[in-house]
Amino acid sequence: MSRRRAFVAAALALTVVAAAVAGTSLGGAKKHHGASGTVVLSGWAANPDELKLLKQVIRGFQKTYPQIKVDYQPITGDYVATMLAKFSARQPPDVFYIDSNVFLDWVTQGLLDPLDSYAAASKFSSKPFFPSLLNGFKYKGKIYGYPKDWSPLAMEVNTALAAKAGVNPAKIKTWNDLTAAAKKLKPVMGGDAKPICLNPSWDRALAFVYQNGGSFLNPSKTKSTIDSPAAAAAMNYYVGLVKQGLADIPAKLSVGWCGEALGKQKAAIIFEGNWLFPFMASTFPDVQFVTERMIMNKQHGNLAFTVSYSMAKDSKNKPAAWQLIRYLVSKPGMKTWTSKGLALPSRSDVPPVAGRSAFLQDAPAAHPWQFAPRFSQVIDTANNDLSAVIEGKKSVSDMLKHIQDTANSTLGH
Amino acid sequence: MAATATTSSATGARSIGGERLKETLVGYGFIAGPMLVYGLLFFYPIAYSIYISRYDWGALGKISSRGSGNYRDLLHDHRFGLAVKNGLKFTIGFAVFSMALGLFVAVVVNNAVRARTFFRSAYYFPSIASSAAITAIALFVLSADGIFNKLTGLHHAWFGESGTALWAIVGLNSWTTSGTVMLFYLAYLQAIPTEVYEAAAIDGAGAWRTFWKVTFPLLKPGHFFVSTLLVIGGLKMFDQAFIASGGSGGPNNSTLVPVLYLYRVAFYDVRFGYAAAIGLALMLLMFTLTLIQRLTFGRAEAA
Repeated sequence: MSRRRAFVAAALALTVVAAAVAGTSLGGAKKHHGASGTVVLSGWAANPDELKLLKQVIRGFQKTYPQIKVDYQPITGDYVATMLAKFSARQPPDVFYIDSNVFLDWVTQGLLDPLDSYAAASKFSSKPFFPSLLNGFKYKGKIYGYPKDWSPLAMEVNTALAAKAGVNPAKIKTWNDLTAAAKKLKPVMGGDAKPICLNPSWDRALAFVYQNGGSFLNPSKTKSTIDSPAAAAAMNYYVGLVKQGLADIPAKLSVGWCGEALGKQKAAIIFEGNWLFPFMASTFPDVQFVTERMIMNKQHGNLAFTVSYSMAKDSKNKPAAWQLIRYLVSKPGMKTWTSKGLALPSRSDVPPVAGRSAFLQDAPAAHPWQFAPRFSQVIDTANNDLSAVIEGKKSVSDMLKHIQDTANSTLGH
Repeated sequence: MAATATTSSATGARSIGGERLKETLVGYGFIAGPMLVYGLLFFYPIAYSIYISRYDWGALGKISSRGSGNYRDLLHDHRFGLAVKNGLKFTIGFAVFSMALGLFVAVVVNNAVRARTFFRSAYYFPSIASSAAITAIALFVLSADGIFNKLTGLHHAWFGESGTALWAIVGLNSWTTSGTVMLFYLAYLQAIPTEVYEAAAIDGAGAWRTFWKVTFPLLKPGHFFVSTLLVIGGLKMFDQAFIASGGSGGPNNSTLVPVLYLYRVAFYDVRFGYAAAIGLALMLLMFTLTLIQRLTFGRAEAA
């Protein structure tokens, strides 16, 4: 008897709690036109400087929308894998970062909510965003994310080493200029240091292919075009710099990436994006360098790396999630976020901090770092083949043919 | 109990039968809990993997039915072939080196040396340290201007070149695992009766001869147990390859091992069905290798 009574009591209590919960959420929704409650915001873990700015933006949002509580849950470790586990469990954060590189994998899986109807309802204009960046988050004509910031590549040159070698960084504009500068720099580089640091990966090499008039995919992204004379010449130039002893890969320079090579003076010329600035300021504040526009050959060619704020299809609080996205990528939100120069604004109505003209000059030549769904294995293959070519275990033409075949078979040919 | 035994044989038999039944039930009762957990965390996922391996399975579930398509794709998958080749290369190197190192240390520590408890703990220590932390440190130690090259006078990026990257991981794993292998061998060494050593000594066998003719053959059950564990562990290696290559399995696919490939296919290509097929193929490979080991060592033992 007593057990049954306890059960009845528990059931009643649960009903009361459930009714109360339903009541608050319904009441809340009515009061604030659907935008209230908690919104979970996730991204990869930020460095302390970035975190300070993000918190500042979130505080600004909280002031405007006190009825929405932002729960910031950064993800440490492998972001892509962790997010997929959350999507599969149907428990994703409401608002989160997406790298343009994985966007197509996620949107084709139906994980994201299109934002067009929210934008239309709140008269949010997407016009101020750079079109090539916004296009990186469009799928079948709909917008699934607004770029929070971006960066192309530029050429960074160690000032002291350049002066010592009699090289004027501002005069390095073409591949020929680069080779000539590297030859002059070679004698002043100490020990195992090299004039140039090059990544054995396509997120740098592809910029050279574009500079030579080549491309990875055709414009409609239905076929690979990497096995071309233009790409072959570009890759022969890229790998040739290593072969001639004018450049080396980070592992051979005993560094994790080329930014570290510039900091440790293991290389005098590198090709990195805006992310280099906070790194150099915090890790190697004494190393002086200049940032010049990315080099060119037949034409200017560059890559655009960008990240969006997007909404999960399984978000439990979409109206509030939209308000957060809208604020994060709004003019004031982006102004705060980019105020310290840690990132470049993706809106044309927010000017970047001083000293970033090298990046902006090359913006029209920047192609988004994005391919097609299920392309990660193609890029893994391409990177591994490139490292084989640099080691002299594969020829450039074999590599390009292999990459093109792999890409085409992924594209369904 | 004694009272039951003294009564007539018929009732005695019935009672013993009842006791047995009760014992059986209690026994099953004891294992029911763990088996339930085991079933939930082990058999259910395996059955589910078999199920999803027949589909193109995305982040939110079924996309389309593939029948045995995922398995057919495996046969033509160049990267899967590379991953299995690297996995086997790693496993052989890892098993041989850690067994040799573990056995050597076990034999040394098993002899009456001073401070043997200290040495046992010292050799076991790498096994309890985090493999991720050890790999991160090894990346520095084995970098082109790392302390290893400084000490040996070489200039080689051990993890940065395809010829040595996998072998650097073999060395690293053999070192960290040798402590555990030492513990197993110590247990087996202590099970060898001292009489055989006395007999060998009387026959005039030296230390070297005693080891190869007495100790080593008598450790056969130990070799089987340890090698089985190492082969299974070797084929499952993931963390060191993931950290050393930054997830790409590079340079030149040299550190692309089966589980790393599975991980990339699952989480970066979002092909959970195909990843499940890779996992099951890997399980089949481990099962086959264990069976071969069992047959080889089992037969030798019987002879």
